[in-house]
Amino acid sequence: MRLAAVDPDASAAVRVIGYFDQLTEAGAGLEAIVRGAAVLTGCPARLTDGGRRISLRVAPDGSPGAPAGPPDGSWLSASASASTSTSTSTGADGGAVLWLERPGPAGPVEAMVLERAAAAARTVLAKTRGRAPTRPVDDQAAVEVLIDPGASPEARRHAAGALGLAAGTRVRAVALAGGAARIVPAADAGVDAGGPRAGIGTAVGLEGLPASWAGARTALRLTADGSDDDPGPRSVWYDELGGLALLAENVGSATALIPDELALEHAALAGPWVLPTLHAVATTASLRAAAATLLVHHSTLQERIAHAERLLGWPIREPDGRHRLYLALALRRLRRHLRADG
Amino acid sequence: MTTTSAAGTAPDGSAVPAAPPPFDPELAAALTVIAESIPRVFTLEMLPALRGANSIMQAPTNEELSLGGAFEITERQVPGPAGAPDITLLIGRPSGATTPTAALYDIHGGGMIVGDNRTGLLPMLEWARELRAAVVSVEYRLAPETPHPGPVEDCYAGLVWTAAHADELGIDPGRIVVAGGSAGGGLAAAVALLARDRGGPALAAQLLLCPMLDDRNDTPSAVQMAGLGVWDRASNEVGWTALLGAARGGPDVSPYAAPARATDLSGLPPAFIDVGSAETFRDEAVAYASRIWQAGGVAELHVWPGGFHGFELMAPQAAVSRAAAAAPLNWLHRVLAD
Repeated sequence: MRLAAVDPDASAAVRVIGYFDQLTEAGAGLEAIVRGAAVLTGCPARLTDGGRRISLRVAPDGSPGAPAGPPDGSWLSASASASTSTSTSTGADGGAVLWLERPGPAGPVEAMVLERAAAAARTVLAKTRGRAPTRPVDDQAAVEVLIDPGASPEARRHAAGALGLAAGTRVRAVALAGGAARIVPAADAGVDAGGPRAGIGTAVGLEGLPASWAGARTALRLTADGSDDDPGPRSVWYDELGGLALLAENVGSATALIPDELALEHAALAGPWVLPTLHAVATTASLRAAAATLLVHHSTLQERIAHAERLLGWPIREPDGRHRLYLALALRRLRRHLRADG
Repeated sequence: MTTTSAAGTAPDGSAVPAAPPPFDPELAAALTVIAESIPRVFTLEMLPALRGANSIMQAPTNEELSLGGAFEITERQVPGPAGAPDITLLIGRPSGATTPTAALYDIHGGGMIVGDNRTGLLPMLEWARELRAAVVSVEYRLAPETPHPGPVEDCYAGLVWTAAHADELGIDPGRIVVAGGSAGGGLAAAVALLARDRGGPALAAQLLLCPMLDDRNDTPSAVQMAGLGVWDRASNEVGWTALLGAARGGPDVSPYAAPARATDLSGLPPAFIDVGSAETFRDEAVAYASRIWQAGGVAELHVWPGGFHGFELMAPQAAVSRAAAAAPLNWLHRVLAD
């Protein structure tokens, strides 16, 4: 009696499910999962993930090896990417895919194996994302180990080494829209103006990166696209948030809207000029400076402000009203970016 | 003792083993698939089914055993022990060999109660192909129909005949290795003891794969793995009782039945012993290796973590199985080196 390719009989599904469930329960690695797919189908199997530079191939006799060439698009495959990753972009990476080196259509055993093996691989990938692979497979994985509060000291040392970060280096975590994380030198946290929105964490030693990352994610929520619909800064430093950080950390999806937010949304419906105008008024030193920012004449700005004050229901040319407006705009950004990767 | 341990002490003062070691992840998964094909506990009532044409251990054909022509397969009827029937030797000679070769003298497994001389022979042939060695596999009578000493005497008689006819078989009599897995490992160890004590054939080495050595069936691993994996304590009791009857576990068991009973393990050929950490035989296999060293002998011991009994045959694809299958060949190359 030996383990071999499963025949498509009534018990095939039970066996396949049992096999991969047991692998997952026992904490098996990716190669064991790919091997299971190869053995149970009698067909070479692969796992590819461009983003993590993973390329595994196992023959039906269990022997692992490097693939000879890229996967053939006609082969049977299933996605093993996490559907809701909070910290990694897939996009250009293509994500993780489990392959059987056989063209479709899939028989019942193949379909079941693909589904269960992909699910098992997804579990492993989700775990090793944040949890600490002993040796990061790429820079992004190493970054994620360093920002993970649950990573072991040993995994952190490996990751720092992989990134060439010496102990004692001062760094900041940067949270980018889309979910990616970066680690940048503390003194040179330059942000690509054309790049994704960025929240920049406080300067820390390597051991402080999980806290810096948490701050960076908070700061990211206060960034804006910079469009008429979402005016505001494309990068925000946590160091400069002050009390706004407290606000950000306490406003979630369950927080009830306040009347000022409703008034702001009501006002925004009057035209595409409203939000950029209000943002300029709230964030510049004078109305003259606001007009210059908006590239409109001073008198035009005066007319728009009067219109907006009627829509909002409170004056915005005095300090108290401007602060009230500033907070309403900040709340609007926080609501738009409830999820740090949104 | 002030430290606490997962293992406790029973009211009678004996140690209670801790939770069993986990199966290797891949082996655990394989076990979920193959477990339904293996009796959880072997019983004598199952013997007709286990030995029949529809046995779970399907015997390979001569064609399969030839490994694509690498071996010439023949069968020979040779004299058995004095007063006993002839025995059959299945002989695989490397095709085209012109000089005497080394030989693996294979004794099959099956708990003393099942199997034949084709059982588990393919891995032996694959190693022999790499070594350009012959394989001789003995068909011994099984318990309970043939109790001790019938089975081990059959095995020994076959070895004596093989060594005496080495020229005819194209075998170098100085390079014969006794080899076996499970019950076959126990019988191989016993044959090595017999050859030593009777001044029989000089063996080059003994290859003992997860060997069944101790009829007392009471080691910590036997207790710890009860009801788990493959060939647990209850099955082991069935096998030993079939061989020894009421004498099993008592004071008068021969070391040629249960080599763990031998008081002298000196003067034996170099041994290769392997076993899984999660099987009944773990502790008796480890103890046997330790006692060979204590007696000034040569042994190589491999304990494969998370391995159940027979894992490398039942789940040959697993990473740990691949390592376990490579180790004996590596050792054979060394012990058979000129």
